[in-house]
Amino acid sequence: MNRRDFISTTSAAFATTLLPSCTEQKKTLNVFTWADYLSEDAAASFEDKHDCKLVIDTFDSNEAMLAKLESGATGYDVIVPSSYVVKELQAKDLLLDLDHTKLPNLKNIDTTYLERALDSEMKVSVPYMLAPTCLAYLRTKVPDAEPSWSLLDREDLKGRITLLDDMREVLGGALMLLGFSLNSTEPAELEEAVKVAIRWKKNIAKFENEQYKTGIASGEFFLVHGYAGELLTVRDENGDIEVVIPKEGASFNCDDLCIPKTSKGVDLAHSFINHLCDAEVAAQNMEFIGYRAPNAAAYQMLTEDFRSSEILFPPDEIFAKCNPLAYLGDKLPLWTSAWEKVKNA
Amino acid sequence: MKSSRIPLITTLLVLAFFYLPIASLVLKSFNDARFTPEWKGFTWKWYERLLERDDIIFALLNSLKIAAVASLTSMILGTCAAFALNRYQSRLQDAHRMMINVPLVLPDILMGMSLLLLFVTTGISLSMGTIVIAHITFCLSYVTLVVLARLQDFDNGVVEAARDLGATRFQAFRKVTLPILLPGILAGGLLAFTLSIDDYVVTFFVKGPGTDTLPTHVYSMIKKSKELPVINALSTIMLIFTFLIVLTSQSLVRPINSKS
Repeated sequence: MNRRDFISTTSAAFATTLLPSCTEQKKTLNVFTWADYLSEDAAASFEDKHDCKLVIDTFDSNEAMLAKLESGATGYDVIVPSSYVVKELQAKDLLLDLDHTKLPNLKNIDTTYLERALDSEMKVSVPYMLAPTCLAYLRTKVPDAEPSWSLLDREDLKGRITLLDDMREVLGGALMLLGFSLNSTEPAELEEAVKVAIRWKKNIAKFENEQYKTGIASGEFFLVHGYAGELLTVRDENGDIEVVIPKEGASFNCDDLCIPKTSKGVDLAHSFINHLCDAEVAAQNMEFIGYRAPNAAAYQMLTEDFRSSEILFPPDEIFAKCNPLAYLGDKLPLWTSAWEKVKNA
Repeated sequence: MKSSRIPLITTLLVLAFFYLPIASLVLKSFNDARFTPEWKGFTWKWYERLLERDDIIFALLNSLKIAAVASLTSMILGTCAAFALNRYQSRLQDAHRMMINVPLVLPDILMGMSLLLLFVTTGISLSMGTIVIAHITFCLSYVTLVVLARLQDFDNGVVEAARDLGATRFQAFRKVTLPILLPGILAGGLLAFTLSIDDYVVTFFVKGPGTDTLPTHVYSMIKKSKELPVINALSTIMLIFTFLIVLTSQSLVRPINSKS
């Protein structure tokens, strides 16, 4: 090998390590989402159907993802933020308007959910997965429990309760107990909710976002406030646990599919969203993730066991009281100051 | 003199403090339950799932690649910086010293954000390369400080002796200076490797599509995944490898020490 050959081969080898995308002619779709938030089957069938490569990149909080996109990070074709963050991204003009002609499967989307979604016309986002934030208790330790936010006031559970360390969820629960909207921005209503939350704070062990799962599984806590996806998994391991949606209603959080304006593969991104709205794919995803996809056509394809979950598929009268957390916009300081009062009480 | 029991007790306490959490993690990787701390039966299923999880293996490989390149580069750059700081006394070097120290106390979030803004404004697209650059920036300071400490005890007389005996500058460096400094450089490199492999905050901001590292992937799995114990299995395997590496490196180092 002479020197010229050597230089050309080594520099080519070096260049390929730097630019892996150039050697590959296949199209790639970059999805910025949560880890384990797409079933392997759904990913594989998309790659086959469109002869492309799916690259999954993960984030662990809406706020971190938002900060990153706002600073100008690009390269993503589809992102999966929670609904209230979609509104914020939209307000900051970071999202592309969806082309419904490329999304025929939108007909499958469950209209009973859609009518109260934050983006009910699916202008920039399509709902992907939803799950309520609910309460879970140990049957043997909480006799004659009524599924209500008032459980948090029970004297006999003092020091054995955890609440999420999340102002939207805790003050939202207090607002619903009082009969107000969980997204209320009325100062008077928030004032009352603060009083309820302070009363709760005196009764609980702590505000807690991670340990409540093991806490209730091991019997350390009797009543916890947490995310349905996790609580249902814990319930499968400890038969004494009961998960309930309070009768006053709960927040039903949704993560949505959106396309950032900076996407370089808009067509493929639409195909991806359309693929996930396919009834069969949505059913696969639901069983894999353990959340509910608001896809009416997919419900009948679910296993009996999954479909009968009263938490993911609550009866109509309860579901009617469940709402997604709204984007507060410039009313946010009202909430943060209310939460401050609870935390400092 | 009667031997005291205190050293033994302290050793045991320290060992328990370090290794109890790790032991519980190893134990959990064989537990059939996801959340319940109680024993639900022995299982290999998390290890089996780990083998099927290409995304986790991919993230691990990314982390290893980044850590290897970042620690090697910062070893070279850090040693150069340490030499400059040790040899010259000037205003410029004072400024240099300060700028080496700043990243040690700078909050990660600030560093991640500023690097991201830099990459965005200069039009560099986010990739593995940007993560490596970011990791070098914070690893560099640690390597420099470790090597600098080593240099301060360094007896320049031996280099002068080598030069007097006819060694060229390069020979003196290669045969005298480098072997004496090598433990310090390697220690700095190892520190850099560990810092790089478990960095989350900076990495999150500068990573691009398809460059998830193990920490960013694990943090995300905590939120939605039903298979978190797979991470316990992975940690157990990594632990075994770490112990093996430490054991072999000790057996390699020992003969040299006993000779001197």
